[in-house]
Order: sequence, then C-alpha cells, then structure tokens
Amino acid sequence: MSTTTSVIDRLRARVGVDGPAVTATVEAGHLKRFVDAIGDPNPRWRQEVPPTFLVALAPVSLHLAEAEEYGKGWLNGGNRFEYFVPVMVGDQITARGRVADVYEKEGSSGNLLFIIFETDYTNQKGDLVARLRGTAIRR
Amino acid sequence: MSVQVGQELPELVKHPTTRQLVQYAGAQGDFYEIHYDQAYAKSVALPGVILHGLLKAAFLGQLVTDWLGDRGRLSTFEVSYRGVDMPGHPYRCRGRITSVDGANVGLEVWGEDENGKRTTVGTATVEMSS
Repeated sequence: MSTTTSVIDRLRARVGVDGPAVTATVEAGHLKRFVDAIGDPNPRWRQEVPPTFLVALAPVSLHLAEAEEYGKGWLNGGNRFEYFVPVMVGDQITARGRVADVYEKEGSSGNLLFIIFETDYTNQKGDLVARLRGTAIRR
Repeated sequence: MSVQVGQELPELVKHPTTRQLVQYAGAQGDFYEIHYDQAYAKSVALPGVILHGLLKAAFLGQLVTDWLGDRGRLSTFEVSYRGVDMPGHPYRCRGRITSVDGANVGLEVWGEDENGKRTTVGTATVEMSS
C-alpha cells in the first residue's frame, strides 16, 4: 500500500495552501445557460445567480491529478454553501480554493479517500460573497 | 404565510434526462464522463450515467427559493449525496421546517428517487425579512 500512502501524504502536504485564484465575470448568457440546464424558470435568475451557480463560474473543485492515482473514480460526497452577499450579472468574482482536509475511510466495498475542499468567493469590491465546502471522494 | 416547525415545503418533481445532463455538464464545465458516457460509467462500476450531485443540489436549491420567494434570504445550504440517480426517472424534492428562531428558519431538505429512497439529504437556513 506504499503507493496509496504516498498519494495521501502528498495531498496532505497541500492542506491549507491556497490554489491559484480564478477570476471570472458573471455573464448573462452563461447564467441563462445554467438556469436552463437546471430547469429553474424563476425570472429572478435573469439578474441574480441561483444558489449553486458559483461552482460553474469558477470551477475550483481541483480534480487533483495526483488523487487519481487512488481508486478508479470520483464521487461527490456533498457541498455546503454559505451566502453573504447576492451575486449579480456583471459582478467580477474571484475564487480562492484550497484543500482543507484529506483522510481515508473504510467503506463497505473497499477504502475511500476523502478530500475536503474550501473555496472563498469575493466580488470586485473585495466583499466575501460566499464560501463553499465540498467533499470529493476517490473510490 | 406563517412559518411553523413541521410545515412541509411544496414539493418539486424533476424529470431529468440524459440531454439535461449534457446541458448541465456544459453549463457547469464538469465533463466527467460518468454523466454522459454509458460505457465509461459502467467501466467504473456504476449502473449507467448518473446525475451530477450539484444538479441535484440545484433542484433542492430551487425547492427552497421557490418556497422562500422574496420573503427572506438564503444563508446556508448544505447537501450530502447518499445514492446515485439515473436520468429517465423522476426526482422528488421535498423539505420541512425544523426550527424557527426569530427571523432565522431552519429547514431539512431531501431528494427522493421513485422508490422513496432519500438519495440526497441536506439542510438550509434562511433569514426572513421583517
């Protein structure tokens, strides 16, 4: 199991280290494609972004290549959003993501690797608009 | 409309299709093959292509924002994915009020497959406007 141990060690070394910041502008066209895709007809989402949009704006779930040495597939374990300021069309959002935790657990059909990601989203004024915590699982 | 513990949110039933998964993959920028490539999905021991967890989260988000309207704002929203869901099957989004503390209202939300199994569970907190 030395291979998997070293993968976990390498991922653990990244805990708490910010990944590169990603900046993107909320475009009306992208927002429309997103709300069409989720099938939510609420006219409010022509100007304001719906609760899960930020993951589409600046994908920072960091599908870490090195984690792919472990197991054979990814699963999304969960997502937790905290909202502070509404995000509107035209806002310029910067996402800063990091690995918050890495651990292994025994599952019913073999071991699983849990990677906890955190992303802070700030707008063009520097206000923290939302925070996302996600659990990615290698199985 | 008063808000009381135990009250259920009007349910929302979604009818996801493979086409919608492709549409969502493009809109989110998540091109992981398990959401549109049947052969690939089976090669990683899945029964076939499955819904994106975040698409199910979006459905549950709609459940909450449809119910809330302009009466307040969403403060937190959390979902855990407990099982896989396949396109071509209805997905029922449900929720219930679990706490009322002044303007702060806590909700539990969940998504059920057609057998009533809760494949996604979560919580939300909202702050009602005065």
